[in-house]
Amino acid sequence: MFLEQIVATSVCHSDLYHLFEYMHPEGFPTVLGHEAAGTVESVGPGVTEFQPGDKVIPIFLCQCRECRFCKSPKTNQCELAWTRVCQKIMASVESRFTCRGKRVLQFMGTSTFSEYTVVHQSAVAKIDPAAPLDKVCLLGCGICTGYGAAVNTAKVEPGSTCAVFGLGAVGLAAVMGCKDAGAKRVIAVDINSEKAEKAKAFGATDFVNPKDHNIPINQVLAEMTNGGVDYSLECVGKVEVMRTALESCMEAWGVSVIVGWTDMYDIAIRPSHLICGRTWKGSMFGGFKSKDGVAQMVKAYMDKKLMVDEFITHNMTLDQINNAIDLMKDCKCIRTVMSVSPQ
Amino acid sequence: MATAGKVIKCKAAVAWEPNKPLVIEDIEVAPPQANEVRIKIVATGVCHTDLYHLFEGMHKDGFPAVLGHEGAGIVESVGPGVSEFQPGDRVIPLFISQCRECRFCKSPKTNQCEKGWAADHYDVMALADSRFTCKGKKVLQFMGASTFSEYTVMNQIAVAKIDPAAPLDKVCLLGCGVCTGFGAAVNTAKVEPGSTCAVFGLGAVGLAAVMGCKFAGAKRIFAVDTNPEKAEKARVFGATDFVNPKDYNKPISKVLAEMTNGGVDYSLECVGNVDVMRSALESCMKGWGVSVVVGWTDKHDFSARPIQLIAGRTWKGTLFGGFKSKDGVPQMVKAYMERKVKLDEFITHNMTLTQVNEAIELMKRGGCIRTVLSVSRQ
Repeated sequence: MFLEQIVATSVCHSDLYHLFEYMHPEGFPTVLGHEAAGTVESVGPGVTEFQPGDKVIPIFLCQCRECRFCKSPKTNQCELAWTRVCQKIMASVESRFTCRGKRVLQFMGTSTFSEYTVVHQSAVAKIDPAAPLDKVCLLGCGICTGYGAAVNTAKVEPGSTCAVFGLGAVGLAAVMGCKDAGAKRVIAVDINSEKAEKAKAFGATDFVNPKDHNIPINQVLAEMTNGGVDYSLECVGKVEVMRTALESCMEAWGVSVIVGWTDMYDIAIRPSHLICGRTWKGSMFGGFKSKDGVAQMVKAYMDKKLMVDEFITHNMTLDQINNAIDLMKDCKCIRTVMSVSPQ
Repeated sequence: MATAGKVIKCKAAVAWEPNKPLVIEDIEVAPPQANEVRIKIVATGVCHTDLYHLFEGMHKDGFPAVLGHEGAGIVESVGPGVSEFQPGDRVIPLFISQCRECRFCKSPKTNQCEKGWAADHYDVMALADSRFTCKGKKVLQFMGASTFSEYTVMNQIAVAKIDPAAPLDKVCLLGCGVCTGFGAAVNTAKVEPGSTCAVFGLGAVGLAAVMGCKFAGAKRIFAVDTNPEKAEKARVFGATDFVNPKDYNKPISKVLAEMTNGGVDYSLECVGNVDVMRSALESCMKGWGVSVVVGWTDKHDFSARPIQLIAGRTWKGTLFGGFKSKDGVPQMVKAYMERKVKLDEFITHNMTLTQVNEAIELMKRGGCIRTVLSVSRQ
């Protein structure tokens, strides 16, 4: 384990999910935040990979490199994650935080709404020391999640047609991923038409607002694409949209990826949709093996092959956290980056 | 042949309405039109999808119909424009066509075909047009095939020519069940050598899936069924373990997870029940598990927690085992002739077409794997 000083963090919808939707009573008190960048302050015994001063990004998904999952190319899961982080309370089993004599949980094992946090070395990526921490913090969750869902999980092919449902940061990153993978057509879908412009900045070729049509959106998309899209990505976290996203893809070969998080309701579909050839998948952290993936994505940003700055709509400080949360609740931001400590 | 170009009057088992026994009638079978082939059906299997239409789907516009879609026969005559077939060819009718021209046929990713009956009529399970009449009424050709008839007429894109030495009363099973199950494992799940599999439901399709998992090199194959009598046959086809969910008081997915250190690599649902489809998904390993829905139902939704997929499982489905039909069926016939694939072991009963209702009752009771009905003499 080591102690990390958080320099910058952003608010991700999963922080709000825990606070306002899931609200598990045993998941509080906690320090939220899981999308950040900082510097190593000190290391615990046995840590050789990091030293004080290293620039790092904490990640909510481990990569121990030793378990059967880390050794398999098919997945980015890690068995260490399941023993360290309890999904029910969305926090690590152990905590290094106390406040007023009470134990305070570390949300998703990270807790980046804090000037300092303690993380396990398998859940931290060392990054290029020249990378601007107030930008690359976004690679701790949203951008990798969306981009990787398109590139690693859906495995979007050149010349294909894609639909991305939900144009928050994750959805916009998915649009970016579809474009980088060579999709010929990327249809951005959102019930808020103000999202259209930003979606096109990230590579969307079309924008569709389901509210503009009086037939189901999957029928609208089927008519636009002669039967359905090749790949659809659900970046909202609502089971009805997950169903629609699957129904929007072409029978015979369509692939639909669930990216948005919810654990409160079931997804449902008629079996014929799968029997007739569609595939339903899901993705956590964009299928990136975390430590490797984050370092790669930072490099891609530094090489100007990946947009990150364009996601940032607001800058604040940690004490304005509740303003940042309200902005997200009202869908008035893409990403708010909060300055936590000076570098 | 003397009958070429003429209407043939022959025997067929007609389903006049849903949920009633079939009636052996004399029907008229018109000559083949352009690109069509008229086939003398020699043998047919009874497949659960025939029963699904009759007793569960029961779409009112899907009757009267001649059921049956798992057959084998001999070409009696061909229509204008047919050069691929001639009278005397041994053939298997296909309920999925392969036109070789549409975008689906040209894609390696799918075995669908845009030209078949399923494109527009999959709830009625027949094309609107038919070559059959009976007592002055149009009778539909179920799934474009209708093998419960001494003669049928099909478009040549839905007929596979097979090795003339193949025994038709065995290879008829390759018209559906065996290809469906075997292909689900080999083509759709793409079972890898050394892996662990679970097959839910041990009818013909499930047993064929077990056979496919073994053929693909699986190290461990769990055969799962609530009927313990199925265990022995499952082992004949390659199952290494048999599990009866009724023997446990916890969910089958937990039982299998404990037996496999987390879950199976591949699971195949061969029952057609939405709760079993959910269990099959939950039985496979997070991270890389793949679950394939093989059994057919379209009456209810199935459901699962999104986390099952977000944590890395993949949910797929398959029709006809993912085989491109005209290519795949002759390959499977060849594999049978070379003893790489079992067929005889599926056949538990032999009857004639006139006994079709008995065969259906036997299947309803779960008292058979496959009954082969002799339809015409060769």
